[in-house]
Amino acid sequence: MTRVATFSADGHRDALPGDGAPASAEPLLRVERLRKFFPIASGRGSQLHAVDDVSLTVGRGESLGLVGESGCGKSTLARLLARLHDPTDGRIVFDGSDIGSIPASRFARRSDRARIQMVFQDPTDSLNPRFTAADAIAEPLKLLDRLQGEALRVRVAELAAQVGLPAELLPRYPHQLSGGQKARVGIARALSVRPDLLILDEPTAALDVSVQAVVLQLLERLRRELGLSLIFVSHDLNVVRLLTERVAVMYLGEIVEIGPSEQVFRQPLHPYTRALISSIPGQGPRIRLQGEARSPIDPPAGACRFHGRCPEGQDRCGREKPRLVSLEVRAAACLLVAKQVSSEG
Amino acid sequence: MSAPRSFWSHARHVLTENPVTLFAALLFAALVVLAIAGPWIAPFDPLASNSSAALQPPSARHWFGTDALGRDMLSRVIIATRLDLGIALAAVAASFVIGLPLGLAAGYFGGWWDRIVTRLSDTIMAFPLFVLAMGIVAALGNTVGNIVLATAVINLPFYIRVARAEANVRRSAGWIEAAKLSGNRDLRILAVHLLPNALPAAAVQVSLNMGWAILNAAGLSFIGLGVRPPEPEWGILVAEGAQYIVSGEWWVSLFPGAALMLAVFTFNLLGDALRDLLDPRRRS
Amino acid sequence: MSSARNNPLAGTAAAANPPLLEVRDLNLEFRTRDGCVRALEGVNLHLKKGEIVGLVGESGSGKSVLSYALLGISDRAARITGGAASFGGIDLLGADARTLAELRGREISMVFQSPRTALNPIRRVGDQIEDVLRRHAIARGADLSRGLREGAIQALREVAIPDPERRLQAYPFELSGGMCQRVMIALALACRPSLLIADEPTTGLDVTTQAAVMDLITGLARERQMATLFITHDLALAADYCDRIVVMHAGQAVEDAVTSSLFRAPRHPYTRRLISSTPGPSGSLASLAPVPGNLPDLRRDDLPACRFAERCESADQRCRRVRPLLGEREVALAHRVACWYPADLGADTTSDAASNQGALG
Repeated sequence: MTRVATFSADGHRDALPGDGAPASAEPLLRVERLRKFFPIASGRGSQLHAVDDVSLTVGRGESLGLVGESGCGKSTLARLLARLHDPTDGRIVFDGSDIGSIPASRFARRSDRARIQMVFQDPTDSLNPRFTAADAIAEPLKLLDRLQGEALRVRVAELAAQVGLPAELLPRYPHQLSGGQKARVGIARALSVRPDLLILDEPTAALDVSVQAVVLQLLERLRRELGLSLIFVSHDLNVVRLLTERVAVMYLGEIVEIGPSEQVFRQPLHPYTRALISSIPGQGPRIRLQGEARSPIDPPAGACRFHGRCPEGQDRCGREKPRLVSLEVRAAACLLVAKQVSSEG
Repeated sequence: MSAPRSFWSHARHVLTENPVTLFAALLFAALVVLAIAGPWIAPFDPLASNSSAALQPPSARHWFGTDALGRDMLSRVIIATRLDLGIALAAVAASFVIGLPLGLAAGYFGGWWDRIVTRLSDTIMAFPLFVLAMGIVAALGNTVGNIVLATAVINLPFYIRVARAEANVRRSAGWIEAAKLSGNRDLRILAVHLLPNALPAAAVQVSLNMGWAILNAAGLSFIGLGVRPPEPEWGILVAEGAQYIVSGEWWVSLFPGAALMLAVFTFNLLGDALRDLLDPRRRS
Repeated sequence: MSSARNNPLAGTAAAANPPLLEVRDLNLEFRTRDGCVRALEGVNLHLKKGEIVGLVGESGSGKSVLSYALLGISDRAARITGGAASFGGIDLLGADARTLAELRGREISMVFQSPRTALNPIRRVGDQIEDVLRRHAIARGADLSRGLREGAIQALREVAIPDPERRLQAYPFELSGGMCQRVMIALALACRPSLLIADEPTTGLDVTTQAAVMDLITGLARERQMATLFITHDLALAADYCDRIVVMHAGQAVEDAVTSSLFRAPRHPYTRRLISSTPGPSGSLASLAPVPGNLPDLRRDDLPACRFAERCESADQRCRRVRPLLGEREVALAHRVACWYPADLGADTTSDAASNQGALG
């Protein structure tokens, strides 16, 4: 069932019938020029540019995909948005308030904490081995919603049912649960405090394909029922296409392309996106990339970071840094795309 | 996946799975009984001297023989259990209670915390530990309390190290991040999340340390620091009997020495059992 | 890159090309504290020289267990309780340690899943390759001298590692995941084995690196006419590179078919479900039809004869009591299925598979 979404120029989606809350002009999440640099121990002031000058928006009830390969910064970005790490620069505006300026260590007990939650990649790694499934789901309820006793028990049971986790599994420890069951516990825990924004970091990467299908359908159902906004981080483009309306492609800390998922997959603008999509098994002739991604440490300021590996690169790509250029509802950071846009008027 | 066992059935399983574990547990139980009920079990008054019965070899009346003052060795060895175990327990408990939180904080926060705590630990370990203990007791005074203190200090680095390693490994784990998302502040993460996960490793350390602490206390007493005669303590008993070995009265030193050995052995064996007991992963 | 479907060898049932590897009716179980895990049951598998066969299954299907058993590197708790496996005429299961050691690395080689952990972290890459060369060169009585270093450089060059002379000195942690995997492939292929078993070689690698590594493995396999058993959970990946695919479920081999035939007309219910639950480039979320139920507990004494019976909508009493065998009829060798009620070979299958197979097939 396809939904026809219309988008305004900055990529923000206009209201659709069937949206939960009435869409306001202000998006739920607005990220402005976000940066996260890690100093490298070599002491010469070298910095690792994990996330570099990223801007995007997520509307209410909208799902955004974040794709890229390892080292592109999508996981770091996800953790910045979840306020687990502090940005080096830039703003994170959530529902009108600047949450980026509050240090992560103090964010834990704020009322906003419950509104942004996260589901992790490895279900085994994301559960405390000494907590039962019930303990794990109950914890945010105890700390953030201050539920106790009977009310707590009832809510935990309700959540387990909502994610399809049989109640008899609640007293079990993680090592006694299967991968799919652990994934459900993680989802139940994240949803327990009724967040507005759910960030999913490769939630199905460690699962078998049939379990993955079940979990993806569950996530979609929950999104519709609860009106959640989703940020779905993944390297699996097929999965991202199914679950998201818009997708952002990242490379070495920057967004190189952003736009409606279907369009980006069918007609990728950026050469990296094209190579990425062609690498999916079954996608026809493969664009082979040479070598490996360059180091994210002190990347050149005046050049395209994909230059050198890009199958379509030209000399000037090494001398000029491309900016995100809009093409109707899409945008790509590529000098060749920019040229095409400007030549079309 | 199978359903969890209760703690007691798991305990029973751990004890019966390995005969060595059961053996160690029984020995430990015996030691505890002797420590608690010593005065009622001992056949003679350990302090009662009887010069006419001095230096008698083991016999039906005196199973472990008598010492130079005619005191019954069996009684003295039994009574000493309480003191030795008590000192060791107090020292290890102190090390545990102080060292574990310090180590967890160092491993979790890193940065300055880590530097300070590691320096402290390194400083202690720079000394030959027994010499350091000697120094502390000699400087602060010859009391049982100071033996406990000295033993606690020299055992501190072990707990700091174990806790630090456990915290360090887990600090970037997914469930720690999830704990932060659930509203945990750092202190609560340390206490509620990291501490229970560090316990199995710490438990093994406790057991090994108990054995070592007993040896340490005995060693200090052997050289005259710490426990004063006529208070019976295994180290002192060995010291008292040392001079008689050459002249053939072997029993005065041997039995306290054997008791020491048995106690240390028991605690070493117990270490693995304790860890198995505390680790929920081994429950199924 | 020629795809599997264009390979002239695919689907040939010529008797002129006898199987290099033959596994018949293999049964394997693990003795554990909680009971006997019947990890493999009645597995039939064959591989001809130069063939690339994909062994596809989810976790718990037994695919890795099978490969370890063939190489004699199973867990100590493993017991082979029936069946046979032979390689070039040599009985693999009954072979003594010496024969197996001879075979490993020289005739049969394996590439493992996590390259960084499969390589020795404290030894340089060049030394590890030289080890393999030395081990088997000694056995062949070949001349050592400086040839070893040259051999290692050559091995690295063959897997397209740039600047091989310098990379010889590198430690595994200094190399990226894709690079480590290439080193592992170099190690595996150094002595030119005739059979390569690749156990999930690209899991954990980026999709662009995955493509490059798969291209490398299959390119070398075609060039050297090396039989390759490619173990994976990724059906789409297997579709892209393998001549033939064997689908496993809960320790049983349920379907064995030439790739194009498998995706055009999957006959086993499990295969059909597997295909339809794999997200493809087209199709919607709602069209994903996951496999119902769960993997049966392999420790049970009362496992149904066909282990998919409890999850299958067409199962009946016969399925539970009598195990269906992978069909042995010659005419169906290009597409065999272990099922009492398989879809017909000519029939086009359910529509939910159709939407995905356009891209996968």
